[in-house]
Amino acid sequence: MNPGTVSRRLPLVWLALHRRRRMLLSLLLGMVVFETLIVVIAGTIQPGDLFGAARGNPPSAFKAFSGSNGDISIASYPGLLGAGLTHPFWIALQLTVIGSLGAAAVAADVESGTIELLMTRPVSRRRLLAERAGAMVAASVLLNAAATLTIALGVAFSPKLRAAVPEGAVFTAGLLGCALAFSLTGPVLAVSALSRRRAYVVGAAVVLGAVGFALNFVALAWSPARPLRYLSPFHYYAPGDVLGHGGVPWAALGVLTGIGLLGLLAAFRLLERRDLAI
Amino acid sequence: MPGNGTGPVIELTSLTKRYGSTVGIEGLDVSVAAGEVFGLLGPNGAGKTTTLRCLVGLLSPSDGQVRVLGLDPVADHRRLAPSIGYLPGELRLYPELTGRQTLDLLAALQGAPVPRQTELCERLKLSRTDLARPVGEYSRGMKQKLGLVQSLQHRPAVVVLDEPSEGLDPLIQETFYELLAEETAAGRTVLLSSHVLPEVQRTCGRVAIVRRGRLVTVRSVAELREARARKVRLLFADGLGARPLGAAERWSPRWAGERVELLVPPDQVVPAVRGLLAELPVADLTVEEAGLDEAFLDLYRSEDGSDGSDHTDGSEHSDGSDHTGGPTGGRPTDGQLPKAEEKS
Repeated sequence: MNPGTVSRRLPLVWLALHRRRRMLLSLLLGMVVFETLIVVIAGTIQPGDLFGAARGNPPSAFKAFSGSNGDISIASYPGLLGAGLTHPFWIALQLTVIGSLGAAAVAADVESGTIELLMTRPVSRRRLLAERAGAMVAASVLLNAAATLTIALGVAFSPKLRAAVPEGAVFTAGLLGCALAFSLTGPVLAVSALSRRRAYVVGAAVVLGAVGFALNFVALAWSPARPLRYLSPFHYYAPGDVLGHGGVPWAALGVLTGIGLLGLLAAFRLLERRDLAI
Repeated sequence: MPGNGTGPVIELTSLTKRYGSTVGIEGLDVSVAAGEVFGLLGPNGAGKTTTLRCLVGLLSPSDGQVRVLGLDPVADHRRLAPSIGYLPGELRLYPELTGRQTLDLLAALQGAPVPRQTELCERLKLSRTDLARPVGEYSRGMKQKLGLVQSLQHRPAVVVLDEPSEGLDPLIQETFYELLAEETAAGRTVLLSSHVLPEVQRTCGRVAIVRRGRLVTVRSVAELREARARKVRLLFADGLGARPLGAAERWSPRWAGERVELLVPPDQVVPAVRGLLAELPVADLTVEEAGLDEAFLDLYRSEDGSDGSDHTDGSEHSDGSDHTGGPTGGRPTDGQLPKAEEKS
């Protein structure tokens, strides 16, 4: 299909992705370049040169930057690769997709008035939200797939990294990334379903991401705040642990998916009841 | 097509819409029959757009009931929407989509064939080149033409148009009036809101006049004009200019040099003209039927003794001005209703 041709089957998905195609391409490119840098840098460090090798391990709060709740230090190959999946740049790219497409789901159309054209057609509110959620999930999956494939290629070509990372762990980490994105997507869609200003939705995405990360960091750094870590989605997102030990963290995947589904459910409920014009 | 085909196509019963403490529309009762072109008249902010948005299911009424083709526009949205064509008052489009993509997108959402798309584009002078350009580059008039195409392209049974001729040039306006006539000839129902009174006078059979969210009256355009005073214009040739007119002073004379205009009730026109010709050196005389604009303002003034301006909550013009009176003393200019406020 010509990318400029309107999809007759999923016109609202097409609209959301078509309008942001240049932004999405830029983000994908940015993600690939960033993860390439991470794997190249990690691959060039000799085991003896890892900065944790000769000295003591870095403070435990640094685990927030390696994506670990356990024993994976940032001063290790899995920790370094995990850092590529929890770095503020990685988070910023994810939040840009979620904030932008989340705002476009409902709030931006209400704010600009274009909702009047869309929702006077035989389109149910559920379909509007379902197609827009589909566009968000598709964009998030693409972004995480770009990161995952780049790291997977880097690991495949570097014997040191290949020796340190269990087989399949990179893809599990990518799946966990998708789950984290989904856990933010649901609540952001709920804000969009309720709001009439796109700025509120973008703000909500930034707050959820930044506060979530900060909360996890503080909980790791300061023992009295440790119980707070359960409130952060980043507590359940530990790619460093997955890259270090392998296995599938089903519980964490379940929690992140559950948060996303709850948010999505709230979004459907909120959209059913609201007025669609200002 | 939904509905049983026997009752009114559009029925508003005590329709009320509030936005917090602000009243958009209150207790509106209106019924529109099949094949009718019905006008909703009132200055900006009177509640026209709110009413239309309730009709197409974008807003849920706070109270009262809306039925279109016997269905609730919110609860039965998916059943009703295929039969509705809607042109928003403030048409907003996706600026990066081309005209063609916009029409295709809306047709895809309509989920039905659009047999009139090509014909409408041709008649409204939207060329292939125009349709290949991004909508963001369109003028106001071109966007409005695109809006008209999307509202009519699927042959809807009910057409709801919010200020449809805004931005259209006179030639395209003529085409639009032809299209409206064809719609009604085909038995379709049209509800349009406007503050352009000549347009309403030309296109509508009946009108509802609303002010401050309340219904003032529902009447046929002919009735409104019949009840309105006639304009009697006299020209004197003696060079004396303004002078006392005796008993005719009660008909609000407006002097302009040697000319005077009187507003005479319809049942007194003949005796008035006889008396004036008998008593004064009249060189020329014309009697003109009043337009809808003056009938409208008469009704507005008689409702509360105001000059026709309308000020609902929090919706005055940004410059704070009252656009109704001005130098014409409350008479409309260019057939436009006063733009007293923003839409509600």
